[in-house]
Amino acid sequence: MLWMPLIFAFLCLTPCPKRMTRLTFTTGAILSAIGAWLFVFQTPWAPCVFAFGGNLMMDSLSAVFVLLIVTVGVLSALYANGYLFRESDSGISPLRLRRYAFFFHLFLFTMLLTVLSNNLGVMWIAIEGTTLASAFLVNVDDKKSSIEAAWKYLILCSVGIALALFGIILVYYSAIAQAAAGEGGLLLNWTFLLSHAKQLDSQVLRLAFIFILVGYGTKAGLAPFHSWLPDAHSQAPAPVSALLSGVLLSCATLGILRFHILTTAATGSAFSGTLLILFGVFSVAVATPFILEQKDYKRLLAYSSVEHMGLAAAGLGFGGALGIYGALLHIVNHAFTKSLLFFSSGHLLHLFQTKEIGKVKGIFRKNPFLGIVFFLGALAIAGMPPFSIFVSEFLVLSAGFLAGKFVPCALLLILLALVFVGFLRHANQMTFGVPEGPPAAEKNFLMDGVLGIGLIVIFVMGFYIPSPFQRLLLEAGRVAGGAVL
Amino acid sequence: MNPELAPSLIHFFGMMLLIASFWILASPQIGTCIRAYATHSFLLALITAVIAVTNHIEHLLIPALLTLVLKTIVIPHVFFRIIRRLGIRKEVESYINIPFSLLLAVLLVFVSFYVTGDGKILKPVAFSEFIPLAISTVFFGMLMMTTRKKAINQVLGLLLIENGLFLMAVTMTFGMPLLVEMGIFFDVLVAVMIMGLFVFKIRDAFESIDADDMTVLKG
Repeated sequence: MLWMPLIFAFLCLTPCPKRMTRLTFTTGAILSAIGAWLFVFQTPWAPCVFAFGGNLMMDSLSAVFVLLIVTVGVLSALYANGYLFRESDSGISPLRLRRYAFFFHLFLFTMLLTVLSNNLGVMWIAIEGTTLASAFLVNVDDKKSSIEAAWKYLILCSVGIALALFGIILVYYSAIAQAAAGEGGLLLNWTFLLSHAKQLDSQVLRLAFIFILVGYGTKAGLAPFHSWLPDAHSQAPAPVSALLSGVLLSCATLGILRFHILTTAATGSAFSGTLLILFGVFSVAVATPFILEQKDYKRLLAYSSVEHMGLAAAGLGFGGALGIYGALLHIVNHAFTKSLLFFSSGHLLHLFQTKEIGKVKGIFRKNPFLGIVFFLGALAIAGMPPFSIFVSEFLVLSAGFLAGKFVPCALLLILLALVFVGFLRHANQMTFGVPEGPPAAEKNFLMDGVLGIGLIVIFVMGFYIPSPFQRLLLEAGRVAGGAVL
Repeated sequence: MNPELAPSLIHFFGMMLLIASFWILASPQIGTCIRAYATHSFLLALITAVIAVTNHIEHLLIPALLTLVLKTIVIPHVFFRIIRRLGIRKEVESYINIPFSLLLAVLLVFVSFYVTGDGKILKPVAFSEFIPLAISTVFFGMLMMTTRKKAINQVLGLLLIENGLFLMAVTMTFGMPLLVEMGIFFDVLVAVMIMGLFVFKIRDAFESIDADDMTVLKG
């Protein structure tokens, strides 16, 4: 299952005409997704299966993320199919497209490896791999600004991740100090560490968690380490932004979550949870003014990712079955909603040829379908009731109140209200009004279809979560919360 | 190996390692910087090998060998090719002058000895004096990344951080499991390649590789 994207990555690299690359690229994504769905729902894996001598593992927690990755992956591959390959008529060379397709699949592969690894070291390698694979995706067009964004992304994330490695060394050290001889290979395995959590040195683990939080937090876009994020997200092409924002951040959050579970189990205290709440609320607080005063709509969406990741981190920190379930649901919902918005930002860019909010007016008049999708998407991401984000935000906040964390919750509520106002103002201004120039006639059914699917998903998820998926989420919440409670 | 010899050898190498770190910061030319980095990695490989032999941990010899091959030969070689193609001969440009950065470095060494001094939390398995050395190497890398202007120096700083972490892993835990160690080496190598490519792209787009020219994106 895991090897599928890897195979297709190299298939995409084979020199062949543009049409062929396009075909391989899309089929690859679809096949990987089908493979992953089948694997998750057909294999009797509960509570977890191992592979590669215990280095890879799938439990319900990783299953949720696998589904997330492949589904958003397929959507964005389909979208890219229309988006980049349309642009390709006017300039992007076949070589560049092949490289793009190659790194796209490599990126998917490294993300899958991240969520499926049991060995914390392997997880680190995979996360570093995601940085390396996606750096080229950020910089597809070789413009000044996108090179700058990619460079910042590479350097900042590499340094961040180096700090995380320090944390992992500390964890390994604490394991080695306690363990009997002969278990050397197992010592970095998450399952092994968790079952021996009580014997680990809690002092060292706390130190390790701080480093991990800073390291993976850089990758997850938690403030104050988020500065690469708006640049990379605004410069990347729309399908890539969707992947970066929707799933890459989630993968890094999973990395933090694994260590959070471990630390909580080992120290038996709320230390890591408190830190998560602190950084979560801080992220929301940092993102809010940038959302209110943003001039570039892709950066607007990027800052909103910072905000939502902060919210998810706070949810994980609040803990309890409700908090963790809410945070996981929030991650899933955010992934879908944000990819939808990034996809529509691709449309917008094509339609208006600008990224400035001030220059985009009257989307609705110009292209009614896009106007509806964008406006509803913006409402959804701001947390309007019929949509799924509202449900998970509500769950996270109620978990917070249940846990008696009134101050952070009150802060979050105020900030969320502000964000809501900001989003509404921007979306309103962009969607309505009289556009300059004639209505656009061009249609691309594939791309519009992707938008339609995304809209339906976020709408339906607000009312009803399919029961197998619901079970999976609950189970994942239990895995994550089991140690907490 | 004679039991007296190994600790003194280790101490000697450790001292040399610190000197090499200072050398990286002090050298005014990029070429010298890279040579200093190669020396640093070479010493790292020696230390790892000595620890492996004296403690009979054979699997640690493989990372030692990899360090020798990759970090002392391959990566410096890649760097030299890059600077030759970029045609840089100039000095390392820095926001702060070299004497001052050396002063900062000395301060950082003190800090790292101070924070690890009490030995309460971290009780290393091998040689305790390497912990502050490793941490100060990490600090040096960060210092380099934040104060130097050229993009290529930032990559060098990152590699220095990685060297420090490697030393940390070796002294605290006798090295990570082999699979992980190999993966890290692979990642570092790929990272250097990709960053090298980006250095060229930056040069083409900005007509220099000063990282502080990159100020398009804000807010």
